[in-house]
Amino acid sequence: MTVINIRGENVDQTWRDVEVAEETRSLDSVILSFASLKEHIETLDQKSLSRIGVRLTVNDEIGEIADHARHIGLIDLVFPNFKDGRPFSTAVTVRRDYGFSGDLRASGDILPDQALFLARCGFSTIVVPVQFPVKQFKTSLGAYTIAYQAAVDSNVSQVRDLRRSAVEVVAE
Amino acid sequence: MYVYDTIDKSLLNQRVAEFRDQVRRRLDGELTEDQFKPLRLMNGLYLQLHAYMLRVAIPYGALSSDQMRKLAYIAETYDRGYGHFTTRQNIQYNWIELSTAPDLLFDLSEIDLHAIQTSGNCIRNVTADPYAGAAADEVDDARVWSEIIRQWSTFHPEFSYLPRKFKFAVTGADADRAAIKFHDIGLKIIRSDTGELGFEVYVGGGQGRTPIVAPLINSFLPAKDLLRYLDAVLRIYNLHGRRDNIYKARIKILVKSLGVDSFTSQVDAEFERLDPALFVVEADEINRIRDMFSVPYLQADEDVKARLEERIEESPQMRRWSDSNTHAHKTPGYAIVTISLKPIGGIPGDATAEQMYAIADLADRFSLGEVRVTYTQNLVLPHVHQADLFVLWSELKRLDLATPNIGLATDIIACPGLDYCSLANARSIPISQRISERFSDLESQHDIGPLDIRISGCINACGHHHAGHIGILGVDKRGEERYQLTLGGQGNGESAVGKIVGPGFDEDGIVDAVETVISTYLSVRSTGELFSQTLERTGHAPFKERLYDSN
Repeated sequence: MTVINIRGENVDQTWRDVEVAEETRSLDSVILSFASLKEHIETLDQKSLSRIGVRLTVNDEIGEIADHARHIGLIDLVFPNFKDGRPFSTAVTVRRDYGFSGDLRASGDILPDQALFLARCGFSTIVVPVQFPVKQFKTSLGAYTIAYQAAVDSNVSQVRDLRRSAVEVVAE
Repeated sequence: MYVYDTIDKSLLNQRVAEFRDQVRRRLDGELTEDQFKPLRLMNGLYLQLHAYMLRVAIPYGALSSDQMRKLAYIAETYDRGYGHFTTRQNIQYNWIELSTAPDLLFDLSEIDLHAIQTSGNCIRNVTADPYAGAAADEVDDARVWSEIIRQWSTFHPEFSYLPRKFKFAVTGADADRAAIKFHDIGLKIIRSDTGELGFEVYVGGGQGRTPIVAPLINSFLPAKDLLRYLDAVLRIYNLHGRRDNIYKARIKILVKSLGVDSFTSQVDAEFERLDPALFVVEADEINRIRDMFSVPYLQADEDVKARLEERIEESPQMRRWSDSNTHAHKTPGYAIVTISLKPIGGIPGDATAEQMYAIADLADRFSLGEVRVTYTQNLVLPHVHQADLFVLWSELKRLDLATPNIGLATDIIACPGLDYCSLANARSIPISQRISERFSDLESQHDIGPLDIRISGCINACGHHHAGHIGILGVDKRGEERYQLTLGGQGNGESAVGKIVGPGFDEDGIVDAVETVISTYLSVRSTGELFSQTLERTGHAPFKERLYDSN
């Protein structure tokens, strides 16, 4: 499994999948299903939570663990198919509303051509589907150098910022 | 006109490069057709019955003369010498090769044109009042706010894989010439009692399988909150719109199933959560855009009208054209002229490369270099001095572009239908041509008065049949093309969905049926009563009787 960051670089894989967590003591660098995490969440302190990841399908409601979300180490949002854009909005919500600053991972059925949008919506890592070369993701991440609208990666419209600085240069 | 600065241009160039790479990967087999499809659709490229079709965006229906020349050039270079103006104020080319599509997009980009988001499940090209900036009844120029929405929605990282397509329409005028209530979001620019600029926001309108007139969900959205509010609506839709059934995926279904109140309160709650700072459009930027749309000061000319009247007296033909194809301009002495793309027996919305070049020249001579596209598939010269009307009319006549039928029976809206479209169940164009020929007599058209006939070749309703006074829907009945007749729709000014009158007709029958409807109207109307008014007074009964009880 290849995981890249939003600069297109390979990321070492420390996280491993666990189908069902039997007990919480050994939970370190594992990714749980949402159901499994919910089961254990009240017994976990902040420090343990920060070593745990959770995988959310589009049917899981992150709002159910809203108070804990920002302490989790990794949130993995799964695209059931690349045309289903819900994880983009969930990512924005997780970053902005829940203040999540850990690793926000995109996995599942993703096209290389979506990589820049993923980065802009706050994803920090991407699981590269086996059928696509990593370099295609890298190309896509650099396809556009600026954007019209603010997003998670930028609190301002870079286009309008550039226009303003251009005006200032002329004024000088 | 909005002119791209170096920043807009660099983004457009990056898009052209990206698409060239996507086409290469498709042709090399790196992308499957299923993977390529949403990528090409977001660049307006459809696979149709005979070839690829490319839909070029005409933001808010506004073109410069040079852009029109480029559209003509594309028609003669990449297509078969013509283009088709659509009900979303865009232009479509029907005979495109995939391998040369990147070159075509490069050519377009040289003059700030593109096909970005003219298809796909994303925010589509914004449509607007074609008279914006020229109409006497306008609160503010719809193009300014449409351009702000264009920039915000272009390559939107969060809202490019929505449950379904998403269409905006904006008007700044009192009379609705953009059918805003038939859009996913319709915006009407208004001023509050205190003079503050803002919007009425209508959400969840549409045609297709489930025609709905959009409900008002916000009666005054301050202009400063526009993008923040739109972001809230789109996020609620992206998260909660249905994705299990393509026919129930539009926002209208979400609004309907949640109920207007519940939907609105979800939007309001999301709006409150959002940081206003993320959505500010600075006054400098609004002014920069506004300045680009302003035209040179037009000197009011109160006397020209009398001189025009003298000229018209001499020519009944010119009078007819002036009556139906010109509209009041905000500056006395000027007129808004509609160029009819509905010659008798012609294909609605089609224009040849020669016509497009000629219209560009006429726009330079008579209309400050501006052309508009209407959703009724005609073109507009928005700023014509009345002293020039006679010469302009003569030139248009020479080009077969002066049919005096705007708003009348032969000003028919029709989708491409089964002649081109892979979704269609039946042909639309030949039906429209036959109805046009049946009512070719101009005198009787003017006697019948305002009448919207609209034809769609399938339930997707690209021909806006739900909103026609007389609507025709092509259906497939056991392998045969049949046509359903609806009456009572309205899409011009008022908005209403028409109702099916009775059993459908075959190709010959539908043309006769339209004639029967019109002759019934003529026999039952009161003096001065319009078709829509008669229908409202009498209901379907007299029409039904004549249509179905004749044996």
